[in-house]
Amino acid sequence: MSERYLPGGRPPGSPEEGVWAYGITASDRVAEPGGAPDLSWLTGVGGAVRTVTCSGLTVLVSDVSLAEFGEAALREHLEDLEWLDEVARVHHYVVEAAARLFPLLPVRLATVYSGEAALCAALADHHDELLGALRRVGGRVEWGVKAYAAAEQAEAAVSPAAGEPGPGLAYLRRRRDQLAAGREARAAAVSGARAVHAGLAGKAAAAVVRPPQSAQLSKVRLPMLLNAAYLLDASDGTSFTAAVAAEATAHPELRIELTGPWPPYSFAGGDDDGR
Amino acid sequence: MTDVDLRDPGLSEAGYPAERVSLVDLLDRVLAGGVVVTGEITLTIADVDLVVISLRALLTSVSALVEPQPKGDR
Amino acid sequence: MSQAGQAAPAGQRVRYRLDADDDPQAAERGLAALVLTIVELLRQLMERQALRRVEDGTVTDEQAERLGYTLMRLEERMGELLDEFGLEWEDLNIDLGPLGPLLDDHRA
Repeated sequence: MSERYLPGGRPPGSPEEGVWAYGITASDRVAEPGGAPDLSWLTGVGGAVRTVTCSGLTVLVSDVSLAEFGEAALREHLEDLEWLDEVARVHHYVVEAAARLFPLLPVRLATVYSGEAALCAALADHHDELLGALRRVGGRVEWGVKAYAAAEQAEAAVSPAAGEPGPGLAYLRRRRDQLAAGREARAAAVSGARAVHAGLAGKAAAAVVRPPQSAQLSKVRLPMLLNAAYLLDASDGTSFTAAVAAEATAHPELRIELTGPWPPYSFAGGDDDGR
Repeated sequence: MTDVDLRDPGLSEAGYPAERVSLVDLLDRVLAGGVVVTGEITLTIADVDLVVISLRALLTSVSALVEPQPKGDR
Repeated sequence: MSQAGQAAPAGQRVRYRLDADDDPQAAERGLAALVLTIVELLRQLMERQALRRVEDGTVTDEQAERLGYTLMRLEERMGELLDEFGLEWEDLNIDLGPLGPLLDDHRA
């Protein structure tokens, strides 16, 4: 199936143009009569969203100017939180919309090919892996669970110990008790977070743990002890959210947050760990 | 095609109302997740076929941005 | 002072953005928070060392009392400085990215 060129985009293949990729699906999912999705309502990064098909795979793309989305420009833009905010949301919107239409393998943000030939060459090289990944995650969704150490309880009233004559010693004793209590609470929260992850991973097709999020970005002051993603069938949402609620109840030492469902970004493979 | 309104940002499977996802949760996924498909052919037009920034490194520098906290904004 | 357009290699630059254009007070507060974070770091380190020495028994009761009293007064003074700058204890911290925050929770 040759690529469909939707009105409103720029002619492909001009030297200053690249191709921004959103997601990959098996082309037979979109090749049946009437199966090719109407994407004309989708506006993505830099303009209209269209498809490119080769090696039995169909990729959702937009034509982008390399002046704005080439390597040097991207390096600068990706340090601009406002730019990143807008572009990431547009990219995600396209991915999410497409994932509702057919099983989709999300592509990492800022994946720009110098042209369709480069894209098709890449697809040809990785055809089997991509089909395998699609089988693994296509049609499935990701739920995110974050666990923080819950805010500490109010300090217990300090009763002056017998034989503590001075305020300085009393202060030191109080601080020592507070530090010890803080360490214990922290240890309990850490082991609680591990238990929560083990419990939820057992209910998912796959699970992955990520580094804690930057507090500067998340604006949450509590220590983040778990930042995990779980891969589930789309129909398992209700039972999984109930399982998360049960874990939250069972672990008052943690503050647990659930996000989702997401397209299966964290399970698409291709991150630096080589999954 | 299903009957779901494709333009609807979403009622989830469990009927969660659509919410604006937080930037940090989104970046967590689109920058570190998603597949990266590299290729072999080098075209003459550009120096690289594929422009993929090492976004973990950038996320570190992005996350070091200190934004002043307006009072009461917690 | 936005930082757009600089070309330093990714990951090798820590940026502090003080939006002096929007709110000069916020910029001053941001700077104060940075400075006081360092001061608080030192105070916490001193405090922990004092506690260790008291536990180890390497100081007399009298010395311990003086240490404790000094640390207590330092904490009070820090609280006063925070009030002067309109800051909370929770505002003192630096996020070291993968290394986590610089300071532990104030009361931990």
